Amino acid sequence: MTKARTTPSQAPEDESGLDRRGFLKGAAAAGAATAAAMTAATQIAQAAEAKPAQPEGEANMRGNAFVSRPGSDFMVDVIKSIGIDYISANPASSFRSLHESIVNYGGNKKPEFLTCMHEESSVAMAHGYAKAAGKPMAVLCHSSVGLQHASMAVYNAWVDRAPILMFAGNGVDAAKRRPGVEWTHCVQDPAALVRDFVKWDDQPGSLQHFAESTVRAYKMMMSPPQDPVLITLDIDLQEEPIHGEKLSIPKLSLSAPPQADARALREAAKMLVAAQNPVIVADRCVRSQEGVDALVKLAETLQCPVICNGSRMNFPSTHYLNLSESRPGLIRNADVILMLEVQDPFGTLHSMGDPWKDVRRAAKPDVKVIHITLADFLMKSNYQDFQRFQPVDLPISGDAQTSIAPLTEEVKRGLSSARAAELAGKADATKKRYRDMQERTKTAAALGWDASPVSTARLSAELWNAIRNENYCLAVSDRVAWPKRLWPTTKYHNMMGGSGAAGVGYSAPGAVGVALANRDKGILTVTLQPDGDMCYAPGVLWTAAHHKIPLLIVMFNNRGYVQEVMHLQRMAGLHRRDPKTAKVGTMIYDPEVDFAKLAQSFGVWGEGPISDPDKVGPALERGLKIVKGGAPALVDVVCQLR
Amino acid sequence: MRIAVAVVGALCAGAVLAQDAPKGSAERGKKLFVDLNCYSCHGTHGQGGGRGSEPPIPLGYPWAGFLQQLRKPRLDMPAYEEKLVSAQEVADLFAYFSSIKAAPAAKDIAKLRTF
Repeated sequence: MTKARTTPSQAPEDESGLDRRGFLKGAAAAGAATAAAMTAATQIAQAAEAKPAQPEGEANMRGNAFVSRPGSDFMVDVIKSIGIDYISANPASSFRSLHESIVNYGGNKKPEFLTCMHEESSVAMAHGYAKAAGKPMAVLCHSSVGLQHASMAVYNAWVDRAPILMFAGNGVDAAKRRPGVEWTHCVQDPAALVRDFVKWDDQPGSLQHFAESTVRAYKMMMSPPQDPVLITLDIDLQEEPIHGEKLSIPKLSLSAPPQADARALREAAKMLVAAQNPVIVADRCVRSQEGVDALVKLAETLQCPVICNGSRMNFPSTHYLNLSESRPGLIRNADVILMLEVQDPFGTLHSMGDPWKDVRRAAKPDVKVIHITLADFLMKSNYQDFQRFQPVDLPISGDAQTSIAPLTEEVKRGLSSARAAELAGKADATKKRYRDMQERTKTAAALGWDASPVSTARLSAELWNAIRNENYCLAVSDRVAWPKRLWPTTKYHNMMGGSGAAGVGYSAPGAVGVALANRDKGILTVTLQPDGDMCYAPGVLWTAAHHKIPLLIVMFNNRGYVQEVMHLQRMAGLHRRDPKTAKVGTMIYDPEVDFAKLAQSFGVWGEGPISDPDKVGPALERGLKIVKGGAPALVDVVCQLR
Repeated sequence: MRIAVAVVGALCAGAVLAQDAPKGSAERGKKLFVDLNCYSCHGTHGQGGGRGSEPPIPLGYPWAGFLQQLRKPRLDMPAYEEKLVSAQEVADLFAYFSSIKAAPAAKDIAKLRTF
């Protein structure tokens, strides 16, 4: 990861000695003698009319003048130096030179160019990939319109703390923009489109600047809290030849994650050891199996129940201390709550009625709250993902995953042998509570077992039974609640959370990105795919087929935007109007979308629609065969609405 | 869970307002259940919403409690006034609920025993 190199920019320029920059300099010199007497407009017109003996374009067509070492070759060197394996993009002229360099100069390996059909897909793929791979991939976007397409997906990644190395092509020098569309697509400040939700951005003015800013961006992006960064690529910087300047790529060294202050952790440990009913709430806490294991040790040391919010697989569902399904009672009775990178502390302690917005306290008034988070380091003003302000008794700035192990050590130091024995004595009762919770969950899953359309619990059970002997990953684990409630999870990679900002359109491309990362690890990836989300940018199915990304897509097809149905019902009730109208503008039928045919049209194996619950399992088995053969497959299951 | 609490309250009310349900049609009730979008929260078999926020409708509770929850709901459920859902339609919905058969026990479902 730490490489320093001298770039190939020392190589001689093209054999003719003519390059684009040299030509332009020559053209400028030709007009210099009379420039002082000319108006600016006249200068431009004359420069355009200048006819050098051998214009570069014609020379190229004749084959005796080329740009053999474009700046974009050096950019590829930089991207390779920081270990980027994939770069996703919808092709565009503003990065045509870099695109060509990736393919030919870079050999289309590390990074490999992934063809996408929408910038939202490019970014969401990178988002899912980052969470599953534990490292970022890169995205190329086209100046204005491409970045506009990408922006919602960038916001999702921002809220979900997912690192993405983004590049946006753009033409800075107005005098060199081709008339028409290139002007329409160029931007004075491209990053302004997404600056509210990227960690850092820059617009390098030279290749050396590009190298330094890209390495800087990577380093900043990977320091928790991790988030997307954006580097703008000037068209001319990409396309003009590398001159004699000495270029170098800075060494990449990643910063150690910020561990919480030792005194604060000691204070937190005291509170936790003394608590009668402590609870741990883990949200975007864990980034790897190491974090899961560390949290298990902390919880076991304290015999403390854990509520996993589901944005990451923080804690094994098979562990008796995972009482996520008993959340209301645990929060209500807690005297100390340890929050680990919780996005919404207020919402953890309160609920709000709808539509009257009455706030209901969910916790004791005197509950003591400890929160380990880096949220204070990454707040911006415009977008409100920081949630309502919630005072905390012991706020601790630090990376939660890194701080768990030292907190556990402080807890161990603070535990007397008598208190340790007392805590150990709680285990049997907690285990019973866990077993009871599991039984209640299974009883709930049995309701509507034979229903048609298929219940989401049945669908989840059928999918589990199809993959139960595999090393599995559920790529998007927050769209259907049942897997989190039912499935045994033991590994970080078992469940990859959701979009972060609930921006619809993440699930399909995000799952493809997760599957891409897992393909390289030999992990079987499945996903429960909402129909409304799939309709945003279904072209990602083609990307999965083209790049042979194995993923079993199981449609959670309820033929509508059902949450919105419920909102409309509520409004109709409130306004004393006909609740039957709630389907208008919210349901996706008449005609019904045939997702199996949609998949087939993109080259993906597809089967369905299936409404009979008994036919789901066999269809999943057929789909899995395709996936195990290295390709994506889709099974369309018509489901209950939620 | 919240609806379950509401239903307990409604059951108490039901004891006070004890009366027999008017005759309704389960077939019409099933259609109404879909037309009124009740199933978006409660599922076509009253099994609940599946995301933990919309719990199932307990089977076998009395007419009075059902009527009260529909007309003057507790918590977040929308109200269904008589001008929107007639007394006969409520009776039809109740007949449909009453016709729903209890789910098999989890222990009797092989695919749930794998958890």
